[in-house]
Amino acid sequence: MPGMTLWIAFALLTVAAALAVLVPLARGRRGHAPAAAHDAEVYRAQLDEIERDLDRGLVSEEAATAARTEIARRLLAASREAEASGAADAATGTKDKADAAASLPGSPARRGASGLLQVAVVIAIPAAALFTYLALGSPDLADQPLSARLEDTQQNRSMAALVAKVEQHLADNPNDGRGWDVLAPVYMRLGRTGDAVVAYRNAIRLVGSDERRETDLGEALVILAEGIVTAEARAAFDRAVALDPKAVKPRFFLALALGQENRKDEAITAWKALLAEAKGGEAWVEAVRMEMAKLGAEVPPSPALPGPDREAMAAAAEMSASDRAEMIRGMVDQLDTRLSAEGGTAEEWMRLMRALAVMGDGPRLREVKDRALVALKDDPVAQAKLRGLAEELGIGS
Amino acid sequence: MTRKQRRLSMIAAAGGVLAVAVGLILFALNDQIVFFQSPSDIVGKTHPDGQRIRLGGLVADGTVERRDGAEVRFSVTDTEETVQVVYVGLLPDLFREGQGVVAEGVMKPDGWFHADSVLAKHDENYMPKEVAEALKGKGVWQGEE
Amino acid sequence: MIVEIGHYALILALILSLVQSVLPVWGAVTGNDRMMAVAPPVSGMMFLFVGISFAALTMAYATSDFSVLNVVENSHSAKPFLYKLTGVWGNHEGSMLLWVLILVLFGALVAAFGRNIPTELRAATLGVQGMVSFAFLLFLLVTSNPFLRLSPAPMEGNDLNPILQDVGLAIHPPLLYVGYVGFSITFSFAAAALILGRVDAAWARWVRPWTLLAWMFLTLGIAMGSYWAYYELGWGGYWFWDPVENASLMPWLSGTALLHSAIVLEKRGALKVWTVLLAILTFSLSLLGTFLVRSGVLTSVHAFATDPMRGTFILGILTIFVGGSLALYAWRAPLLKQGGLFAPVSREGALVLNNLLLTVSAVAVFVGTLYPLALEVVGGEKISVGPPFFNLTFGPLMVPLLIAMPFGPLLAWKRGDLYAVSQRLYAALGLALAATLLVAWLQGVDRILAALGFGLGIWVIAGAAAEILSRARFAQVGLSTGLRRLVGLPGAAWGAALGHIGIGVTVLGLVAATAFQVEKVVTIRPGESVTVADNTLTFGGLARRTGPNYIDDVGHFDILKGGVKVAETDPAKRLYTARKMPTTEAGIVTFGFSQVYVSIGEVHDDGGADIRVYHKPLVTLIWLGCLVMAFGGALSLFDRRLRVGAPKPARQRMVPAE
Repeated sequence: MPGMTLWIAFALLTVAAALAVLVPLARGRRGHAPAAAHDAEVYRAQLDEIERDLDRGLVSEEAATAARTEIARRLLAASREAEASGAADAATGTKDKADAAASLPGSPARRGASGLLQVAVVIAIPAAALFTYLALGSPDLADQPLSARLEDTQQNRSMAALVAKVEQHLADNPNDGRGWDVLAPVYMRLGRTGDAVVAYRNAIRLVGSDERRETDLGEALVILAEGIVTAEARAAFDRAVALDPKAVKPRFFLALALGQENRKDEAITAWKALLAEAKGGEAWVEAVRMEMAKLGAEVPPSPALPGPDREAMAAAAEMSASDRAEMIRGMVDQLDTRLSAEGGTAEEWMRLMRALAVMGDGPRLREVKDRALVALKDDPVAQAKLRGLAEELGIGS
Repeated sequence: MTRKQRRLSMIAAAGGVLAVAVGLILFALNDQIVFFQSPSDIVGKTHPDGQRIRLGGLVADGTVERRDGAEVRFSVTDTEETVQVVYVGLLPDLFREGQGVVAEGVMKPDGWFHADSVLAKHDENYMPKEVAEALKGKGVWQGEE
Repeated sequence: MIVEIGHYALILALILSLVQSVLPVWGAVTGNDRMMAVAPPVSGMMFLFVGISFAALTMAYATSDFSVLNVVENSHSAKPFLYKLTGVWGNHEGSMLLWVLILVLFGALVAAFGRNIPTELRAATLGVQGMVSFAFLLFLLVTSNPFLRLSPAPMEGNDLNPILQDVGLAIHPPLLYVGYVGFSITFSFAAAALILGRVDAAWARWVRPWTLLAWMFLTLGIAMGSYWAYYELGWGGYWFWDPVENASLMPWLSGTALLHSAIVLEKRGALKVWTVLLAILTFSLSLLGTFLVRSGVLTSVHAFATDPMRGTFILGILTIFVGGSLALYAWRAPLLKQGGLFAPVSREGALVLNNLLLTVSAVAVFVGTLYPLALEVVGGEKISVGPPFFNLTFGPLMVPLLIAMPFGPLLAWKRGDLYAVSQRLYAALGLALAATLLVAWLQGVDRILAALGFGLGIWVIAGAAAEILSRARFAQVGLSTGLRRLVGLPGAAWGAALGHIGIGVTVLGLVAATAFQVEKVVTIRPGESVTVADNTLTFGGLARRTGPNYIDDVGHFDILKGGVKVAETDPAKRLYTARKMPTTEAGIVTFGFSQVYVSIGEVHDDGGADIRVYHKPLVTLIWLGCLVMAFGGALSLFDRRLRVGAPKPARQRMVPAE
């Protein structure tokens, strides 16, 4: 039971920590030499050193004598001091003559204090450690090394087995277009984008081209190129649009491509055309608006997403700067609470992130980004968008 | 020498060295510091000959022009005013149009800013601090704090 | 589970550090043996716990455990394994954990090897070290906890800044930190001495090796950082007077001063108050460096993700420790008894001069680094203080230091004879003059300053050599005995000489690489050539190459000397694909101590490229000199003089000597 092992390990560490304090506290007094005795030791070493230097002829006889006299004088003083503190100890009646501590060691009062201290240590160390750990730690989370996660999770095992089976089948019958068609999206979900591209190509070659396959191929190519709409991807989207001029997704990527090629005006026209078709509430609308903003185009207001209404905005305009900041903060908090509780689309998360960026709340922005990435971890496109925005806002890493 | 005299001579020596150092520091602070200015601070003003300036702003889009011998001409803008810069040398890795840049050099009477060093941001997160602040003042840049 | 054990161990270390801050110090002040006895085992235990913690984080990086937020943010499963490991300290949280690890390591070392340190001093020192550890452990857990978890865990991490993917940089922070943080122990010694109100011979003897250890690593760390900037940033410079560099130079300067003043304290019992102050200042400057780098006050290459909360916290630590220790100093320093007397012209006098110049130059660097910040804070203009300021202030302060350097070790303690010492330096002076004239003749009289600088480097080297040779007395005892004597010299003597020789070597490199460097910026097309000094570089064209996580545009150059091909180099323009981040990979070819340095700038459509070519004569001497210095430090550290026995507690009677 890993949970049990964890707590046993904690217990062992805690015991070790407590013992490190307790043992020296509890062990009987050991006398120690007074500081002056250490000085005397150093001076003696210095005298030896002068002798050595003299033997080697490193110092002149005269310099050695002078140094010797000076050190000897200090040695004498140190020895006297050490004697004196030893004597002071002797006067207190301890057996340990060299003990410099001019205290009353054996006295019951002190023993009591020491005992109290020991009890305090035994209680305080584990309590404080446990308290802090429970506030900060995540005891129920096991380690999750990547290799183990890739191999061992139940879901992946069955998925992997399935994939292996289909792959085996396709190796024997490479011309089974249906097989490739089934496998391609599975590859995508597993993050094997390169394999997905090959599978889509095979499916298109064998089963035939249709809007969905071409679009998916194009999207896979874009993900492979880390967001860049390559010439090859463009060709796929072009074919998709030729097959279905109404399809949104391929046109979305084509507009993106125009933007990436810096053909701004054409891109903006394309985006506008897309927006005109939106019924509102579609997930891609916010992304389009963002792209348009990036190109510096005037972005039409978005009626679809729940946001502050016109009145509220007008009210905001009349408020003082601090009140406005307060209002914005309130709305941001609301959005944040809702997203954390109920989850949301990538676009909503991105809206929150952008608002935080405007407010200049760097730490919270990062924190929200991390939460968003976790919340949308099953959606690679959303993840890519979030990362893109994070990069744009300067919190790329 | 008595103990007191020795001590005094030591203190005098230390004082001497300190005085020289303070003098050097003050002189250098007076003469060797470089002011950071945005294009709006520069345009339309006269500049004492050879006064070194750190010019910060964004590289204006479409103004980068490369000539032979690694000479580069570009404009630096803070969205209000624009200053033309000429620079001979290698540009930093992250020098791009529309990105923050800091050029150090002198304003010449020919109206060109002759830069002898050009710094760009060092990675995606880095905007030269002065540039970010100057632009924030103009409401252009709204990065995180 | 391992991650959580690491987290828990870090918390236990925090709690032990609190115990450590209180009990041993209390015990040392009241003379309670039991409380003092707590210090060594707790130091060891703290090191063990932080070590477990560091190992756990390393494990998480090695296995790409993306349930740890810190790993997600700073690693990537496709990253080469080595950089997964170095990624542990390639980010803020991990590097602070390393900082703390080194902090407790020094505590544990004192606990383990400090048996011969007086008991009260050791307890109080470890107690103060515990306080510093507590502050930084708290900082780590509150603002920069590397063990925060994510659930469910993402499948992939966010890579590491590619500019940090470099072997040199992987070693650089640990070295620099060992230096920076190492000075914490001298700080603790100083604070302990103030608490106990006594600076004695044993204190002097024990503070020096620890200073030496920290100084050695700081020297190596600075050299390493400088070399990294030189070959990785592609600008051909090795020192930019960047605030982050200054942050490491300041503790080095005051640490070097401390190293020297501790000699006076050990040998002659003088300069007590000053040495204690230096020990405090040196670590304060290290803390300041940490603050500057970590708070994001300076936005620069070295800035990791920054966060105002962290900055404020470190500023708090800085204020408490610097303010607290200086207050303690003002209160307790008058208790310290003054030691031996000496004349101005004496070994002590020379060391005082050394201290004076080093600290004043540290002040100059301090002013240059913080003046722009201060000016901005008070709402003044934005300015930048660049190399010209430092060249004008730091430079002139170093010249007298270098001139005086060879005299110091030759002067006698207490009262020296400057004239006699000068006579022993005639040969060195002759060599230096000859070198100056030779350089002036070769390079032209108009380069007289550079020639003098070169001569100064030779003077320092020859002076140090003269000193060590004079100790061997070849003239009196003949060659073979002389050699034997030379080998038999104490490590400290060799250490001092090598330290000084290293400085001279670095000076030579700096002068030559600055004054005699040849730089050309040209546009070059395949087949064309460019000549710097006696090297002709022929451009063979560009080729594209793909690496594990980057794409290179590699230029090929043949280097010809006198028409004969002697070397080739392939500088590159590199694009890290994950971050779309370009970097410059300079092509560096070493000839003797000199280097040819090529970096590629803009690539043209016709296959040509803008390139920058340098010939940097003797440039490697800059870093070789640092290595020599550090080696000298190591020799000195292993000197057997430092192995002084501990007095036996009970039976031994104190016999007055002689």
